[in-house]
Amino acid sequence: MSSAIYVQLARQEGLVKEMNTIANNLANSSTTGYRSDQGVFAEYVVGRSGSADSLSMGVLGGHAFSEMPGALKMTGGTFDLALQGDGYFLLETDRGQRLTRAGHFQLNADGELVDPFGNRVLAEGGNPITFPQGASDIRFGSDGIISAGDFIVDRLAVVEPEGNMRRDGASYFEAPGGFAPTGTNGVTQGALEQSNVSTVLEVSRMIEVQRAYEFGQALLEREDQRVDQVIQMTRER
Amino acid sequence: MKALQIAATGMAAQQTRVDVISNNIANMSTTAYRPRVAEFSDLMYQQYMTPGTITSQVGTVVPAGIQIGTGVRPSTVSMTVAQGTMSQTGGELDLAIDGSGFLEITLPSGEAAYTRDGKLSRNPEGEIVTMDGYPLADGVVIPNDARRISIGRDGEVTAYFDNEPDGQSIGQISLVRFVNEKGLEASGDNLFKQTSASGDPERLVPGVDGVGVLRQGYIEDSAVDVVKEISDLIEAQRGYELNSKVITAADEMLAATTRLR
Repeated sequence: MSSAIYVQLARQEGLVKEMNTIANNLANSSTTGYRSDQGVFAEYVVGRSGSADSLSMGVLGGHAFSEMPGALKMTGGTFDLALQGDGYFLLETDRGQRLTRAGHFQLNADGELVDPFGNRVLAEGGNPITFPQGASDIRFGSDGIISAGDFIVDRLAVVEPEGNMRRDGASYFEAPGGFAPTGTNGVTQGALEQSNVSTVLEVSRMIEVQRAYEFGQALLEREDQRVDQVIQMTRER
Repeated sequence: MKALQIAATGMAAQQTRVDVISNNIANMSTTAYRPRVAEFSDLMYQQYMTPGTITSQVGTVVPAGIQIGTGVRPSTVSMTVAQGTMSQTGGELDLAIDGSGFLEITLPSGEAAYTRDGKLSRNPEGEIVTMDGYPLADGVVIPNDARRISIGRDGEVTAYFDNEPDGQSIGQISLVRFVNEKGLEASGDNLFKQTSASGDPERLVPGVDGVGVLRQGYIEDSAVDVVKEISDLIEAQRGYELNSKVITAADEMLAATTRLR
Protein backbone atom coordinates (compact mmCIF):
# COMPACT_ATOMS: atom_id res chain seq x y z
CA MET A 1 0.00 0.00 0.00
CA SER A 2 1.20 3.47 -0.76
CA SER A 3 2.68 5.32 2.23
CA ALA A 4 1.44 8.60 0.81
CA ILE A 5 -2.09 7.57 1.78
CA TYR A 6 -1.09 6.89 5.40
CA VAL A 7 0.83 10.14 5.73
CA GLN A 8 -2.08 12.12 4.35
CA LEU A 9 -4.58 10.23 6.51
CA ALA A 10 -2.65 11.20 9.65
CA ARG A 11 -2.79 14.81 8.49
CA GLN A 12 -6.54 14.60 7.81
CA GLU A 13 -7.20 13.21 11.27
CA GLY A 14 -5.17 16.03 12.81
CA LEU A 15 -7.12 18.59 10.79
CA VAL A 16 -10.45 17.25 12.08
CA LYS A 17 -9.21 17.62 15.68
CA GLU A 18 -7.97 21.12 14.87
CA MET A 19 -11.42 21.94 13.48
CA ASN A 20 -13.04 20.70 16.70
CA THR A 21 -10.72 22.96 18.68
CA ILE A 22 -11.60 25.97 16.54
CA ALA A 23 -15.32 25.15 16.90
CA ASN A 24 -14.87 25.01 20.68
CA ASN A 25 -13.04 28.34 20.72
CA LEU A 26 -15.74 30.03 18.65
CA ALA A 27 -18.51 28.47 20.74
CA ASN A 28 -16.81 29.98 23.79
CA SER A 29 -16.26 33.43 22.32
CA SER A 30 -18.68 34.84 24.92
CA THR A 31 -17.56 32.72 27.88
CA THR A 32 -16.24 34.79 30.80
CA GLY A 33 -12.59 34.05 31.55
CA TYR A 34 -12.23 31.51 28.70
CA ARG A 35 -8.72 30.81 27.43
CA SER A 36 -8.46 29.99 23.73
CA ASP A 37 -7.00 26.64 22.79
CA GLN A 38 -4.59 25.72 20.03
CA GLY A 39 -3.34 22.36 18.79
CA VAL A 40 0.39 21.84 18.40
CA PHE A 41 1.45 19.43 15.68
CA ALA A 42 4.60 17.37 15.89
CA GLU A 43 6.49 15.05 13.60
CA TYR A 44 6.03 11.36 14.28
CA VAL A 45 8.67 9.15 12.66
CA VAL A 46 7.86 5.54 11.87
CA GLY A 47 10.64 3.14 10.99
CA ARG A 48 9.80 0.74 8.16
CA SER A 49 10.66 -2.90 8.56
CA GLY A 50 13.32 -4.28 6.22
CA SER A 51 14.32 -0.87 5.02
CA ALA A 52 16.65 1.89 6.10
CA ASP A 53 14.20 4.70 5.35
CA SER A 54 11.59 5.91 7.69
CA LEU A 55 8.26 7.58 7.28
CA SER A 56 7.46 10.95 8.80
CA MET A 57 3.91 11.83 9.76
CA GLY A 58 2.40 14.91 11.32
CA VAL A 59 0.29 14.20 14.38
CA LEU A 60 -1.36 16.31 17.04
CA GLY A 61 1.27 16.36 19.74
CA GLY A 62 -0.30 18.56 22.34
CA HIS A 63 -2.50 21.49 23.18
CA ALA A 64 -1.59 24.90 24.43
CA PHE A 65 -3.91 27.57 25.68
CA SER A 66 -3.30 31.22 25.17
CA GLU A 67 -2.49 33.14 28.37
CA MET A 68 -3.23 36.43 26.66
CA PRO A 69 -5.54 38.50 28.86
CA GLY A 70 -9.09 38.97 27.60
CA ALA A 71 -10.67 42.41 27.42
CA LEU A 72 -12.33 43.65 30.59
CA LYS A 73 -16.03 44.38 30.41
CA MET A 74 -17.36 46.81 32.99
CA THR A 75 -20.51 45.50 34.66
CA GLY A 76 -20.57 47.46 37.90
CA GLY A 77 -21.51 44.34 39.90
CA THR A 78 -20.23 44.29 43.49
CA PHE A 79 -19.11 40.68 43.20
CA ASP A 80 -17.95 40.79 39.56
CA LEU A 81 -14.18 40.48 39.73
CA ALA A 82 -11.51 40.44 37.06
CA LEU A 83 -7.78 39.90 37.29
CA GLN A 84 -5.45 42.16 35.39
CA GLY A 85 -2.17 40.47 34.65
CA ASP A 86 -1.28 36.95 35.80
CA GLY A 87 -2.96 34.85 38.44
CA TYR A 88 -6.13 32.86 39.05
CA PHE A 89 -8.93 32.84 41.60
CA LEU A 90 -9.02 29.75 43.80
CA LEU A 91 -12.22 27.73 44.18
CA GLU A 92 -13.17 24.80 46.35
CA THR A 93 -15.10 22.14 44.39
CA ASP A 94 -16.16 18.61 45.24
CA ARG A 95 -13.32 17.39 42.99
CA GLY A 96 -10.67 19.43 44.81
CA GLN A 97 -9.35 22.94 44.45
CA ARG A 98 -9.66 24.52 41.03
CA LEU A 99 -8.31 27.69 39.44
CA THR A 100 -10.39 30.07 37.34
CA ARG A 101 -10.25 33.46 35.67
CA ALA A 102 -14.05 33.76 35.54
CA GLY A 103 -14.93 36.13 38.37
CA HIS A 104 -18.72 36.19 38.13
CA PHE A 105 -19.32 35.60 41.83
CA GLN A 106 -22.24 36.10 44.19
CA LEU A 107 -23.20 35.36 47.77
CA ASN A 108 -25.00 32.22 48.85
CA ALA A 109 -27.62 31.96 51.59
CA ASP A 110 -24.88 31.70 54.24
CA GLY A 111 -23.19 34.90 53.07
CA GLU A 112 -20.26 33.04 51.48
CA LEU A 113 -18.72 34.17 48.20
CA VAL A 114 -19.50 31.52 45.56
CA ASP A 115 -19.27 31.10 41.77
CA PRO A 116 -22.32 30.44 39.52
CA PHE A 117 -22.11 26.71 40.30
CA GLY A 118 -22.17 27.31 44.06
CA ASN A 119 -18.50 26.45 44.59
CA ARG A 120 -16.85 28.56 47.29
CA VAL A 121 -14.23 31.15 46.45
CA LEU A 122 -11.29 30.79 48.80
CA ALA A 123 -9.38 33.40 50.76
CA GLU A 124 -5.64 33.61 51.19
CA GLY A 125 -5.79 31.26 54.18
CA GLY A 126 -7.65 28.59 52.18
CA ASN A 127 -10.92 29.30 54.00
CA PRO A 128 -14.22 30.36 52.37
CA ILE A 129 -14.93 34.09 52.38
CA THR A 130 -17.91 34.83 54.62
CA PHE A 131 -19.56 38.23 54.74
CA PRO A 132 -21.27 39.22 57.98
CA GLN A 133 -25.05 39.62 57.88
CA GLY A 134 -26.00 42.99 56.45
CA ALA A 135 -22.51 43.87 55.22
CA SER A 136 -22.68 46.93 53.01
CA ASP A 137 -20.28 49.09 51.04
CA ILE A 138 -18.29 46.03 49.99
CA ARG A 139 -14.99 46.79 48.26
CA PHE A 140 -12.33 44.55 46.76
CA GLY A 141 -8.95 46.27 46.78
CA SER A 142 -6.53 45.73 43.89
CA ASP A 143 -4.39 43.59 46.24
CA GLY A 144 -7.40 41.38 47.04
CA ILE A 145 -8.26 42.94 50.40
CA ILE A 146 -12.02 42.70 50.95
CA SER A 147 -13.64 45.32 53.12
CA ALA A 148 -17.18 46.10 54.18
CA GLY A 149 -17.25 49.71 55.28
CA ASP A 150 -14.33 50.14 57.70
CA PHE A 151 -14.19 46.44 58.51
CA ILE A 152 -11.69 44.11 56.79
CA VAL A 153 -13.44 40.85 55.86
CA ASP A 154 -10.62 38.80 54.40
CA ARG A 155 -8.11 38.70 51.59
CA LEU A 156 -8.87 36.99 48.29
CA ALA A 157 -6.50 34.20 47.23
CA VAL A 158 -4.84 34.89 43.89
CA VAL A 159 -2.59 32.01 42.86
CA GLU A 160 -0.22 31.07 40.11
CA PRO A 161 0.05 27.40 39.03
CA GLU A 162 3.31 25.54 39.36
CA GLY A 163 3.78 23.56 36.19
CA ASN A 164 1.10 22.95 33.63
CA MET A 165 -2.63 22.99 34.05
CA ARG A 166 -5.39 20.74 32.86
CA ARG A 167 -8.73 22.10 31.71
CA ASP A 168 -11.64 20.84 33.73
CA GLY A 169 -14.70 22.40 32.06
CA ALA A 170 -16.88 25.12 33.61
CA SER A 171 -13.98 27.58 33.08
CA TYR A 172 -11.97 25.67 35.72
CA PHE A 173 -8.36 24.64 35.54
CA GLU A 174 -6.76 21.91 37.58
CA ALA A 175 -3.15 22.39 38.65
CA PRO A 176 -1.69 18.91 39.21
CA GLY A 177 1.67 20.42 40.16
CA GLY A 178 0.15 22.61 42.85
CA PHE A 179 0.02 26.40 42.99
CA ALA A 180 1.54 29.22 44.93
CA PRO A 181 0.10 32.56 46.02
CA THR A 182 1.17 35.51 43.93
CA GLY A 183 1.46 39.06 45.11
CA THR A 184 -1.15 40.48 42.76
CA ASN A 185 -2.12 44.06 42.32
CA GLY A 186 -4.64 43.45 39.61
CA VAL A 187 -7.97 42.60 41.27
CA THR A 188 -10.61 44.78 39.61
CA GLN A 189 -14.08 45.07 41.07
CA GLY A 190 -17.10 45.65 38.84
CA ALA A 191 -15.58 44.10 35.74
CA LEU A 192 -15.47 40.68 34.09
CA GLU A 193 -12.72 39.34 31.89
CA GLN A 194 -14.12 38.36 28.53
CA SER A 195 -13.06 35.35 26.51
CA ASN A 196 -9.62 35.87 24.95
CA VAL A 197 -10.70 34.19 21.71
CA SER A 198 -9.83 36.33 18.70
CA THR A 199 -12.72 35.61 16.37
CA VAL A 200 -10.90 36.97 13.29
CA LEU A 201 -7.94 34.69 13.95
CA GLU A 202 -10.18 31.68 14.58
CA VAL A 203 -12.23 32.21 11.43
CA SER A 204 -9.12 32.53 9.28
CA ARG A 205 -7.71 29.38 10.90
CA MET A 206 -11.01 27.66 10.23
CA ILE A 207 -10.87 28.53 6.51
CA GLU A 208 -7.26 27.36 6.38
CA VAL A 209 -8.13 24.04 8.02
CA GLN A 210 -11.12 23.50 5.78
CA ARG A 211 -9.16 24.17 2.60
CA ALA A 212 -6.22 22.04 3.78
CA TYR A 213 -8.66 19.21 4.45
CA GLU A 214 -10.25 19.49 0.99
CA PHE A 215 -6.82 19.65 -0.59
CA GLY A 216 -5.86 16.53 1.36
CA GLN A 217 -8.93 14.68 0.16
CA ALA A 218 -8.07 15.60 -3.44
CA LEU A 219 -4.56 14.29 -2.87
CA LEU A 220 -5.91 11.02 -1.51
CA GLU A 221 -8.18 10.74 -4.53
CA ARG A 222 -5.32 11.29 -6.96
CA GLU A 223 -3.15 8.77 -5.12
CA ASP A 224 -6.02 6.30 -5.33
CA GLN A 225 -6.27 6.90 -9.09
CA ARG A 226 -2.53 6.45 -9.45
CA VAL A 227 -2.60 3.08 -7.67
CA ASP A 228 -5.60 2.13 -9.79
CA GLN A 229 -3.69 2.98 -12.99
CA VAL A 230 -0.75 0.85 -11.89
CA ILE A 231 -3.08 -2.11 -11.33
CA GLN A 232 -4.69 -1.57 -14.74
CA MET A 233 -1.31 -1.42 -16.44
CA THR A 234 -0.06 -4.64 -14.83
CA ARG A 235 -3.26 -6.42 -15.87
CA GLU A 236 -2.89 -5.37 -19.51
CA ARG A 237 0.56 -6.93 -19.78
CA MET B 1 -17.22 15.52 12.95
CA LYS B 2 -17.63 16.86 16.50
CA ALA B 3 -17.23 20.43 15.27
CA LEU B 4 -20.89 20.31 14.18
CA GLN B 5 -22.19 19.59 17.69
CA ILE B 6 -19.73 22.03 19.28
CA ALA B 7 -20.88 24.84 16.98
CA ALA B 8 -24.49 23.89 17.73
CA THR B 9 -23.88 24.42 21.47
CA GLY B 10 -22.36 27.80 20.55
CA MET B 11 -25.45 28.75 18.55
CA ALA B 12 -27.72 27.62 21.38
CA ALA B 13 -25.74 29.72 23.87
CA GLN B 14 -25.99 32.85 21.71
CA GLN B 15 -29.70 32.12 21.26
CA THR B 16 -30.10 32.10 25.07
CA ARG B 17 -28.28 35.41 25.21
CA VAL B 18 -30.62 36.93 22.59
CA ASP B 19 -33.62 35.64 24.58
CA VAL B 20 -32.33 37.28 27.77
CA ILE B 21 -31.56 40.56 25.96
CA SER B 22 -34.97 40.66 24.27
CA ASN B 23 -36.66 40.15 27.64
CA ASN B 24 -34.61 43.04 29.06
CA ILE B 25 -35.55 45.34 26.17
CA ALA B 26 -39.21 44.32 26.44
CA ASN B 27 -39.05 45.36 30.10
CA MET B 28 -37.36 48.71 29.53
CA SER B 29 -40.42 50.49 30.95
CA THR B 30 -41.34 48.00 33.67
CA THR B 31 -41.32 49.57 37.13
CA ALA B 32 -38.27 48.54 39.17
CA TYR B 33 -37.21 45.88 36.64
CA ARG B 34 -33.64 44.68 37.02
CA PRO B 35 -31.90 43.50 33.84
CA ARG B 36 -30.72 39.90 33.64
CA VAL B 37 -27.34 38.85 32.29
CA ALA B 38 -26.52 35.45 30.77
CA GLU B 39 -23.12 34.03 31.64
CA PHE B 40 -21.48 31.06 29.95
CA SER B 41 -18.91 28.45 30.78
CA ASP B 42 -17.10 25.82 28.72
CA LEU B 43 -18.18 22.18 28.78
CA MET B 44 -16.14 19.14 29.80
CA TYR B 45 -12.96 18.37 27.92
CA GLN B 46 -12.25 15.12 26.17
CA GLN B 47 -8.81 13.99 27.28
CA TYR B 48 -6.98 12.33 24.38
CA MET B 49 -3.69 12.57 26.23
CA THR B 50 -3.64 13.83 29.82
CA PRO B 51 -0.98 16.42 30.64
CA GLY B 52 1.53 14.92 33.03
CA THR B 53 1.52 11.48 31.39
CA ILE B 54 5.00 9.96 31.73
CA THR B 55 6.60 9.49 28.33
CA SER B 56 9.95 7.92 29.15
CA GLN B 57 11.80 5.89 31.72
CA VAL B 58 13.68 8.95 32.95
CA GLY B 59 10.40 10.52 33.91
CA THR B 60 9.76 13.11 31.22
CA VAL B 61 6.12 14.11 31.09
CA VAL B 62 3.71 15.43 28.50
CA PRO B 63 3.60 19.17 29.21
CA ALA B 64 0.20 20.08 27.83
CA GLY B 65 -1.48 16.93 26.55
CA ILE B 66 -4.34 16.85 24.08
CA GLN B 67 -7.66 18.04 25.39
CA ILE B 68 -10.48 18.91 23.06
CA GLY B 69 -13.42 20.84 24.38
CA THR B 70 -17.01 19.91 23.69
CA GLY B 71 -18.66 23.31 23.57
CA VAL B 72 -20.37 25.84 25.77
CA ARG B 73 -23.40 26.07 28.03
CA PRO B 74 -25.15 28.86 29.89
CA SER B 75 -23.90 28.82 33.49
CA THR B 76 -26.23 31.40 34.97
CA VAL B 77 -28.78 34.03 34.06
CA SER B 78 -28.45 36.39 36.98
CA MET B 79 -30.20 39.56 37.97
CA THR B 80 -28.01 42.65 38.08
CA VAL B 81 -28.46 44.46 41.36
CA ALA B 82 -28.81 47.91 39.86
CA GLN B 83 -30.82 50.88 41.00
CA GLY B 84 -33.17 52.32 38.40
CA THR B 85 -33.69 56.06 38.19
CA MET B 86 -36.53 57.60 40.19
CA SER B 87 -39.49 59.22 38.46
CA GLN B 88 -41.61 61.67 40.33
CA THR B 89 -45.29 60.82 40.11
CA GLY B 90 -46.69 62.74 43.05
CA GLY B 91 -48.89 59.76 43.90
CA GLU B 92 -49.63 59.50 47.58
CA LEU B 93 -49.04 55.76 47.66
CA ASP B 94 -46.21 55.60 45.12
CA LEU B 95 -43.11 54.35 46.88
CA ALA B 96 -39.61 53.98 45.50
CA ILE B 97 -36.91 52.13 47.40
CA ASP B 98 -33.69 54.13 47.33
CA GLY B 99 -31.06 51.49 48.07
CA SER B 100 -31.40 47.79 48.75
CA GLY B 101 -34.44 45.97 50.06
CA PHE B 102 -37.87 44.75 49.04
CA LEU B 103 -41.45 45.36 50.10
CA GLU B 104 -43.11 42.24 51.47
CA ILE B 105 -46.57 41.42 50.24
CA THR B 106 -48.97 38.59 51.01
CA LEU B 107 -50.32 36.54 48.14
CA PRO B 108 -53.93 35.26 48.22
CA SER B 109 -52.50 31.83 49.11
CA GLY B 110 -51.04 33.33 52.27
CA GLU B 111 -47.52 32.92 50.90
CA ALA B 112 -45.08 35.82 51.13
CA ALA B 113 -43.68 37.49 48.01
CA TYR B 114 -41.26 40.37 47.61
CA THR B 115 -41.26 43.29 45.21
CA ARG B 116 -39.56 46.59 44.49
CA ASP B 117 -42.54 47.83 42.52
CA GLY B 118 -43.98 50.51 44.79
CA LYS B 119 -46.94 51.52 42.65
CA LEU B 120 -49.42 50.97 45.45
CA SER B 121 -53.02 51.91 46.04
CA ARG B 122 -55.71 51.53 48.64
CA ASN B 123 -58.45 48.89 48.50
CA PRO B 124 -62.04 49.30 49.85
CA GLU B 125 -60.96 47.94 53.24
CA GLY B 126 -58.27 50.60 53.50
CA GLU B 127 -55.39 48.20 53.07
CA ILE B 128 -52.35 49.22 51.02
CA VAL B 129 -52.23 46.90 47.99
CA THR B 130 -50.16 46.40 44.82
CA MET B 131 -51.60 46.91 41.33
CA ASP B 132 -52.70 43.26 41.44
CA GLY B 133 -54.54 43.81 44.72
CA TYR B 134 -52.14 41.91 46.98
CA PRO B 135 -51.80 43.61 50.37
CA LEU B 136 -48.54 44.70 51.98
CA ALA B 137 -47.56 42.30 54.75
CA ASP B 138 -47.13 45.17 57.21
CA GLY B 139 -50.92 45.33 57.60
CA VAL B 140 -51.26 49.10 57.61
CA VAL B 141 -54.94 50.06 57.37
CA ILE B 142 -55.78 53.60 56.28
CA PRO B 143 -58.82 55.03 58.07
CA ASN B 144 -61.69 55.99 55.76
CA ASP B 145 -61.80 59.59 56.87
CA ALA B 146 -58.08 60.21 56.42
CA ARG B 147 -57.56 63.31 54.30
CA ARG B 148 -53.93 62.75 53.42
CA ILE B 149 -51.27 60.06 53.97
CA SER B 150 -47.63 60.75 54.47
CA ILE B 151 -44.97 58.03 54.38
CA GLY B 152 -41.60 58.94 55.83
CA ARG B 153 -38.21 57.83 54.62
CA ASP B 154 -38.13 55.43 57.56
CA GLY B 155 -41.48 53.89 56.55
CA GLU B 156 -43.58 55.59 59.22
CA VAL B 157 -47.13 56.04 57.89
CA THR B 158 -48.93 59.13 59.16
CA ALA B 159 -52.58 59.95 58.46
CA TYR B 160 -53.95 63.52 58.55
CA PHE B 161 -57.59 64.17 59.32
CA ASP B 162 -59.85 67.18 58.85
CA ASN B 163 -59.96 69.56 61.81
CA GLU B 164 -56.76 68.09 63.25
CA PRO B 165 -53.50 69.90 62.58
CA ASP B 166 -51.30 67.05 63.81
CA GLY B 167 -51.06 63.76 61.99
CA GLN B 168 -51.58 60.44 63.62
CA SER B 169 -49.23 57.52 63.18
CA ILE B 170 -51.11 54.52 61.80
CA GLY B 171 -48.32 52.03 61.20
CA GLN B 172 -44.95 51.26 59.78
CA ILE B 173 -43.84 49.91 56.39
CA SER B 174 -40.70 47.81 56.69
CA LEU B 175 -38.24 46.60 54.13
CA VAL B 176 -36.95 43.06 53.73
CA ARG B 177 -33.40 42.22 52.81
CA PHE B 178 -31.78 38.96 51.65
CA VAL B 179 -28.16 37.90 51.92
CA ASN B 180 -28.21 36.81 48.26
CA GLU B 181 -30.78 38.84 46.32
CA LYS B 182 -29.69 37.16 43.10
CA GLY B 183 -30.91 33.87 44.51
CA LEU B 184 -34.55 35.03 44.63
CA GLU B 185 -36.94 33.31 42.27
CA ALA B 186 -38.65 35.72 39.87
CA SER B 187 -42.28 34.71 39.55
CA GLY B 188 -43.54 37.38 37.15
CA ASP B 189 -45.73 40.40 37.95
CA ASN B 190 -42.60 42.07 39.44
CA LEU B 191 -42.72 39.56 42.31
CA PHE B 192 -39.95 37.48 43.80
CA LYS B 193 -40.07 34.48 46.08
CA GLN B 194 -37.63 33.23 48.67
CA THR B 195 -35.47 30.20 47.78
CA SER B 196 -32.86 28.20 49.67
CA ALA B 197 -30.21 30.16 47.72
CA SER B 198 -31.49 33.59 48.73
CA GLY B 199 -31.35 33.02 52.49
CA ASP B 200 -34.00 34.02 55.00
CA PRO B 201 -35.64 37.43 54.81
CA GLU B 202 -34.38 39.99 57.28
CA ARG B 203 -37.02 42.57 58.18
CA LEU B 204 -35.66 46.05 58.82
CA VAL B 205 -36.82 49.59 59.37
CA PRO B 206 -35.96 51.55 56.18
CA GLY B 207 -32.67 53.41 56.47
CA VAL B 208 -31.37 51.28 59.32
CA ASP B 209 -28.31 49.04 59.01
CA GLY B 210 -27.57 49.78 55.35
CA VAL B 211 -31.01 49.00 53.92
CA GLY B 212 -32.61 51.52 51.54
CA VAL B 213 -35.00 54.32 52.39
CA LEU B 214 -38.52 54.92 51.07
CA ARG B 215 -39.43 57.88 48.91
CA GLN B 216 -43.05 58.81 48.72
CA GLY B 217 -44.32 60.21 45.42
CA TYR B 218 -41.69 58.48 43.31
CA ILE B 219 -41.47 55.16 41.52
CA GLU B 220 -38.31 53.36 40.45
CA ASP B 221 -37.88 53.03 36.68
CA SER B 222 -36.53 49.98 34.95
CA ALA B 223 -32.75 49.70 35.33
CA VAL B 224 -32.34 48.47 31.73
CA ASP B 225 -29.67 50.36 29.81
CA VAL B 226 -30.99 50.08 26.26
CA VAL B 227 -27.73 51.15 24.59
CA LYS B 228 -25.85 48.41 26.43
CA GLU B 229 -28.52 45.86 25.56
CA ILE B 230 -28.40 46.74 21.87
CA SER B 231 -24.61 46.48 21.75
CA ASP B 232 -24.87 43.09 23.49
CA LEU B 233 -27.49 42.09 20.96
CA ILE B 234 -25.15 42.91 18.07
CA GLU B 235 -22.41 40.89 19.75
CA ALA B 236 -24.74 37.92 20.27
CA GLN B 237 -25.92 38.07 16.66
CA ARG B 238 -22.34 38.07 15.35
CA GLY B 239 -21.49 35.20 17.67
CA TYR B 240 -24.43 33.25 16.29
CA GLU B 241 -23.29 33.89 12.71
CA LEU B 242 -19.72 32.82 13.50
CA ASN B 243 -20.92 29.52 14.94
CA SER B 244 -23.09 28.91 11.89
CA LYS B 245 -19.99 29.49 9.71
CA VAL B 246 -18.26 26.69 11.63
CA ILE B 247 -21.18 24.40 10.80
CA THR B 248 -20.86 25.28 7.11
CA ALA B 249 -17.10 24.65 7.15
CA ALA B 250 -17.46 21.33 8.98
CA ASP B 251 -20.20 20.32 6.56
CA GLU B 252 -17.97 21.07 3.56
CA MET B 253 -15.21 18.98 5.12
CA LEU B 254 -17.66 16.11 5.52
CA ALA B 255 -18.74 16.57 1.90
CA ALA B 256 -15.10 16.34 0.81
CA THR B 257 -14.85 13.03 2.69
CA THR B 258 -17.97 11.60 1.07
CA ARG B 259 -16.67 12.49 -2.37
CA LEU B 260 -13.88 9.93 -1.80
CA ARG B 261 -14.62 6.49 -3.03
